[in-house]
Amino acid sequence: MLEVLHSLLFSTLDAAPALIFAALGAVLSERAGVIAVGTEGMMRVGAFCAAVAALVMPTPLAVVMGMLAGAALAGVHGFLSIRWRSDQVVSGIALNLVALAGGTFLLESLYGPNGTPPIEQLSRWNIPGLSGVPVLGALSGHSAPTYLALVLPFVFQGLLTRTPLGLRLRAVGDKPQAVATLGLSVAGLRWGAVLGSGLLAGLGGAVLSTAVLDRFEQHTPAGLGFMALAAMVFGRWTPVGAFLAATFFAFGNALRIGLVSSAPGIVELVPQGVLLALPYLLTLIVLTLQGQRSSAPAALGTPYEQESR
Amino acid sequence: MPERVRQLLPSVLSVLLALGVCWALIALTMEPGTATDAYLQMLWGGIGNWPAYLDGAAPTVITRPLGESAMKAALLTLTGLSVAVAFKVGLFNIGAQGQMLLGALAAAVVGAHVTLPGVLHVPAALLGAALAGAAWAGIAGLLRIYRGVHEVISTIMLNWVALSLVDNWLVVGPLRGAAEGGQSITGTAEIQATAVLPRLLSDGSRLNLGFPLALVAALAVWVWLTRTRSGFETRTVGLGAEAARAAGIPVARRMGLAMALAGAMAGLAGAVLVLGTEGRYPGTLGAPYGFDGIAIALIGNNHPLGATVSALFFGVLRAGGTRMQLLGVHKSFPELIQGLALLFVAGRMVWLAVLRRRGVAPTVAAEVPRA
Repeated sequence: MLEVLHSLLFSTLDAAPALIFAALGAVLSERAGVIAVGTEGMMRVGAFCAAVAALVMPTPLAVVMGMLAGAALAGVHGFLSIRWRSDQVVSGIALNLVALAGGTFLLESLYGPNGTPPIEQLSRWNIPGLSGVPVLGALSGHSAPTYLALVLPFVFQGLLTRTPLGLRLRAVGDKPQAVATLGLSVAGLRWGAVLGSGLLAGLGGAVLSTAVLDRFEQHTPAGLGFMALAAMVFGRWTPVGAFLAATFFAFGNALRIGLVSSAPGIVELVPQGVLLALPYLLTLIVLTLQGQRSSAPAALGTPYEQESR
Repeated sequence: MPERVRQLLPSVLSVLLALGVCWALIALTMEPGTATDAYLQMLWGGIGNWPAYLDGAAPTVITRPLGESAMKAALLTLTGLSVAVAFKVGLFNIGAQGQMLLGALAAAVVGAHVTLPGVLHVPAALLGAALAGAAWAGIAGLLRIYRGVHEVISTIMLNWVALSLVDNWLVVGPLRGAAEGGQSITGTAEIQATAVLPRLLSDGSRLNLGFPLALVAALAVWVWLTRTRSGFETRTVGLGAEAARAAGIPVARRMGLAMALAGAMAGLAGAVLVLGTEGRYPGTLGAPYGFDGIAIALIGNNHPLGATVSALFFGVLRAGGTRMQLLGVHKSFPELIQGLALLFVAGRMVWLAVLRRRGVAPTVAAEVPRA
């Protein structure tokens, strides 16, 4: 029993960081009032660039490249939605499509349909003294992003609720006019948030190709970016809420894989497809029960114009 | 310049620019001549090889490509309509893919397991698909109306639920078809001959009744939105739910109806795929037509007829795109063109600024379409 719990926790901690980073990025962007539908595309670009970079440089540096690539795509989103006040949904969806088709095109013309050649994975860190402990030992033996993913949400929560910068950021998402009256730059704050969300989504993607897998594959990230959006909404646009939701999704997945491998008989009782659907069904049920008095930022999706009051 | 043309201009220019950028991409990675040849191949593959026909080739060099284009265009039109209708009421339907899946499954089940006289079988299968899609989208609609659950999250979840239940359970389990001699096959049982959408150009082309059906659906949605009271009310809700409520419009009912209609459109797309080309529910739907619908709707300015035009264009590109492979150009190129076109549509304000400088557009920027 303890062993099952141990392996469940371990695989959750391995899979969750990609989702956590992307969801945090989405929270950052949306709290500043810019819709983050492009998360999936930014993850994909991050995953691709990190994998390609890892072929020629040390993997940790390649992860940084992936982050920068995510931020570059976010830059396009910022240019269109902040500078030119374009529709943020259109821009985000467009970036997803370009990342999907462009990624496929580049992957196949550079490496063929089976993905990039294998790369060196991020090294795993053991926490001294923890490895032998039952269950808690599952905390040990992960790569650096996992540990970062366990800390970052709380840092963000603190930043957002307890610092002047956090206050301004939230104000820009709720009432940009008020921020402008204080003589602060609405565009500047939003640019920061959007670029930050690109860095985080890129990191999430890079984690997929350098820690979860050891290459970039055609289907990476396979909808995880949209799951990150779901985690954000589920977590009511708060960093810790998004973190918990993302971890819950990852746990649901680990539970399914764990159940099937540890008790193959269960597939005859409950079909694999039903198990696959469970986390999503559960999310829907929880949302239905709690209701979702929307806690979305008030000015989400509305381009800011200096003249409008 | 008339207002209507001015509204269309950014979309048209965006598509042209996307074509240009992609031409340059091929020219840079290969050779300029290859790029032009590839585009010609795409054109002949999409609208038929007219030069070869005029040189005396069989008419199938035209009918076959046109059939492929029409097939793709029908699916894109229907999923595009699905997304556009939801947008009109102010909802963002990311779930067209899941709704299409359910529609395809319903069509496959009615087509294979229900025995009906010829004239009734096809309509019954179409109706089943539309209802299945509408019900699936209706869940998201009801959750939004009664529990305030954001439709983006619920439709994403419903997509995954549909995919898991249908592709990973029903189609490989209880509904899996068995071929002659008890051998198992991928997908559900083959639909009966009476449920097949009739081909319009006999065997020379896969053009089937699904294409005119999609066009009629687009026309019907357009008439509903612009010529009927409930359509007008639907658009009013999309422009501002609070104002609509204040004006006495039943907001919840309009939202629910529009979402169900969106689902029905996506469900019909699934039916057209199953009844028109696949003949059964295949192992998986193959392409993310539901997600393509988002791009089609947005490039078409969320207008039912705009979405149709954009679907026709990208249908031709998609069908012709496979021909580019002959020249070593990757087949995902049409999708790249579609993505870039949407990106440039998003840059609509940049277009307007450029046009204004050239004195084409008015000095006051036209209203940005709100998704």
